[in-house]
Amino acid sequence: MPESKYIFSLKEWEKKASSELGGNPSSSANWKTLEDIAIKMLYTSEDLEKLSYSETLPGLSPFIRGPHATMYSGRKWTIRQYAGFSTAKESNKFYRENLAAGQKGLSVAFDLATHRGYDSDHQRVLGDVGKAGVAIDSVEDMKILFDQIPLDQMSVSMTMNGAVLPILASYIVTAEEQGVKQEQLSGTIQNDILKEFMVRNTYIYPPSPSIRIAGDIIEYVSTYMPRYNSVSISGYHLQEAGATAVQELAFSLGNGLEYVRTAINRGMEIDSFAPRLSFFFGIGMNFFMEIAKLRAARFLWNKLIQEFNPKKVESSMLRTHCQTSGWSLTEQDPYNNIVRTTIEALAAVLGGTQSLHTNAFDEALGLPTETSARIARNTQLILQEEAGIPNVIDPFGGSYFMESLSESLIQESAKLLEKVEKLGGMTKAVESGMPKQQIEASAARRQAMIDQGQEVIVGINKYKAENAEPVEVRDIDNTAVREAQIKMLKKIRKNRDQQKVDSFLNALTNAADTGVGNLLGLSINAIRARATVGEVSLALEKVWGRYNAPVQSISGVYAGAFPDQKKISEVRNEIKNFAKKVGRRPRIMVAKMGQDGHDRGAKVIATAFADMGFDVDIAPLFQTPEEVVRQSIENDVHVIGISSLAAGHKTLIEELMKVLRQENSEDIAVVAGGVIPPKDYDFLKSLGVCCIFGPGTAIPDAAREVLMSLKVTH
Amino acid sequence: MNQKNSTLLEKILQGDRRAMAKAITLLESTNSESFEKGQELLDSLLPHTGKALRIGITGVPGVGKSTFIEAFGLFLIKLKHRVAVLAVDPSSPVTGGSIMGDKTRMNELSQHPNSFIRPSPSSGVLGGVARKTRETVLICEAAGYDIVFVETVGVGQSETLVDSMVDLFMLLMLPNAGDELQGIKKGVLELADLIVVNKSDGLQEPLAISTQSEYRKAMQLLSSSKKSWDPQILRCSALEKVGMQIIWEAVKNFQDALQNSGEWAQQRRSQSAKWMWALVEEGLLKNFRKNENIKKIIPEMEESVSSGEMLPSNAARRLLEKWASSKKTCTSKK
Repeated sequence: MPESKYIFSLKEWEKKASSELGGNPSSSANWKTLEDIAIKMLYTSEDLEKLSYSETLPGLSPFIRGPHATMYSGRKWTIRQYAGFSTAKESNKFYRENLAAGQKGLSVAFDLATHRGYDSDHQRVLGDVGKAGVAIDSVEDMKILFDQIPLDQMSVSMTMNGAVLPILASYIVTAEEQGVKQEQLSGTIQNDILKEFMVRNTYIYPPSPSIRIAGDIIEYVSTYMPRYNSVSISGYHLQEAGATAVQELAFSLGNGLEYVRTAINRGMEIDSFAPRLSFFFGIGMNFFMEIAKLRAARFLWNKLIQEFNPKKVESSMLRTHCQTSGWSLTEQDPYNNIVRTTIEALAAVLGGTQSLHTNAFDEALGLPTETSARIARNTQLILQEEAGIPNVIDPFGGSYFMESLSESLIQESAKLLEKVEKLGGMTKAVESGMPKQQIEASAARRQAMIDQGQEVIVGINKYKAENAEPVEVRDIDNTAVREAQIKMLKKIRKNRDQQKVDSFLNALTNAADTGVGNLLGLSINAIRARATVGEVSLALEKVWGRYNAPVQSISGVYAGAFPDQKKISEVRNEIKNFAKKVGRRPRIMVAKMGQDGHDRGAKVIATAFADMGFDVDIAPLFQTPEEVVRQSIENDVHVIGISSLAAGHKTLIEELMKVLRQENSEDIAVVAGGVIPPKDYDFLKSLGVCCIFGPGTAIPDAAREVLMSLKVTH
Repeated sequence: MNQKNSTLLEKILQGDRRAMAKAITLLESTNSESFEKGQELLDSLLPHTGKALRIGITGVPGVGKSTFIEAFGLFLIKLKHRVAVLAVDPSSPVTGGSIMGDKTRMNELSQHPNSFIRPSPSSGVLGGVARKTRETVLICEAAGYDIVFVETVGVGQSETLVDSMVDLFMLLMLPNAGDELQGIKKGVLELADLIVVNKSDGLQEPLAISTQSEYRKAMQLLSSSKKSWDPQILRCSALEKVGMQIIWEAVKNFQDALQNSGEWAQQRRSQSAKWMWALVEEGLLKNFRKNENIKKIIPEMEESVSSGEMLPSNAARRLLEKWASSKKTCTSKK
């Protein structure tokens, strides 16, 4: 060992640091992250001695420095932008433009009706068709979506979990009719149903048949589609729902483990399918933490898979897609989002992702425009081509701090994962409600920290812009899209061999009932005969029913994390006065309408409002406006709070107000929140909506405003 | 009766959902004007009440009370019954607020035209009953609901109170014979007319069967609360909607047995007496707190007791004496 160039002593540094801190020890400046990990101000070689791993290399187990030996020096990460615009035709145009502009892979966003296995003509999806993604009712729509896109050369990722069978089948049949064989297809189907039961809620069937579907797909893909990823185990949605990095790691790896076990229990060899499992993580604003998260994920997955004695090195090698956090985007001063996305994208790349989606800056307001999508794509191109970033593998490797932080994440996540295992694995844990409650508690705690400025968000709780200029937002004529889809459906139903369709659908129902037969194989038959997405879903629903997860609620967490009790007790006093005057506490129905299952906002509002003294009713998910009105009348609430994140607000709230009038219940006030473009505010107000809360409204302020509007009406 | 109340009455009798909801709010109101209106309405409703079968349902959190009511309620609706559910959710003692998510677990039932589900916050009343659940039952009856469920949270002091307002008291249990009778107070068991072991499905079914026989043995040692009925121990899977027929038959047998023996009517009469006393207690306490002389010294008394200067018993005596003397002056003035 050569002698150290410098002779230094930590004690000396501590002395100096302490005097700069006015006599306090350096540890007084430690920062506790949301994960409850203490970050020191200085890391040294001493911290490296505590690592549970030593010198490692990329491409070699335990893969902490990256899955591939050459990483971006060999092949740059794939720029894979997630997009889908209402109709297959419009989306196709957008895809082809993007491919021409330098994008390398496709990622399809489906509309909510498709996610939930409804055809566009179903009465429950009035406000959902063409919102938040492309409407696909049959293979004919899918063929338009991939028109002039050669599927043997293009890697396609599809975010689909609920209606995964008819959608994957439509993709396969589309390729078939393009002359492309199944073994030539490359890409990813999300097929991660377990996380849907924790967050996001775009499931269709109860948990155990849903896991069977996932298993059937893993089995089919491993047999016939060797270049295709059969599951994309997603931490992203957990993070978006409020999970900390530790929770995101533990629960997504736990889900992955559950899929592995499902396949093993069917008699599959670990090496026959594990190399085709991929991951999908969210990248938020905690820069160093996110880099460490990707490193820790690879380490932990490698360790977990060893239990199954893999022979192929690829079986335990975690490959991942990443997306910058949609939740971190703000409606206020939205150009700041470009900077946020850049920082997040940098973290994803320094963490060693295989592909990346960067959000458009206007996604907190609505769907991206052409300009905002171009900036998002260019963010990645600039990182790839201007800044010299891809030339060195894992540049943070060996950093005292980064290695130490990776180690902390590994330890903490392993602990939480052990808790999951004690409950009997992730399926059991999900049934117990533990992961969902933990994530919701994190979300409520974080909201409280933001509402009181402990966590800074520029433009929201600090440095607010006075006169930010309005941003142009893409608007979608939902009615026109729906009508076009319905026309297409009619045509398909008229021109097909109905007897053939019925027999294939019956075969599906039968396979669901008996448990025999591969559901993807059978779905391909039905779709090829022009059965629709809704019909294939219904064939299975006949046996399994449509699931509605029980809603659990937490209380006390929001107020508990709010040190400024004065602000909360002011609201509580106002509520007490209201109750004295009116004869009961203000009562609010927090509801979501349509097929939008993103319930983070609704749950945080519910728990925080209750903490402030409201009586809060939570409505079931996926309600129609009529259903919400009936529940609100029956519970005799003062106000309905609609949470919308999927752009269906205009159609659905208009319908809600209409039904309220029909039922002579205009005394019930309506407030709305979520992702609502400011340009829609006037329209909603003209309908009679009293208050609209954009992302970033502090909850005590929202509560006050709701109270004020009730004082007027009651 | 004022006109607003009389239209409300008519609408309730027609089964109008909004009118029922508004009437329940009046009854629950702490505002004295609304409360008076509620009382007046209740008086006029009384002739139209008493015809429903009133079923109380309790069990530890997680036993599946709401899921059970969803399954059983839909089963009863298929038999042409009209089903009302009064669910009580705990209000936080700290914030006073509450979260009511019952309908998310009764998704199908809550949408059915022949059901009415009203969750109420417990608003500081001990245990799991809202202050005005008893009166709310009457509104549902007047509106033509012939089966009324009263669902309560958890297992605790509230059960006696629920038992005093229902005809049949049902206790739901989990299949775990190992920790037999976990957390269930003996008194609660004695009140139960039906004990139903829920979640008898899948891998848990054998456990549910053994739990059922454990409880059968245990119940032989307890005395029954009814003269003409021995409690039954049944099994069901609310999730898979299995066992509803057997439970319904047991309920009907119960009703027959009690009606034949005359115990049914007798129970309703004694419940009326209990209701009267509950109202007297509530009224007294309200008057007591409203009394000017009492109001003045309450903060002082609370302060002295919590600081340890005064014994609670002494403080209570002083308050009561003050109350008695102020009553006397009131009377003498008259």
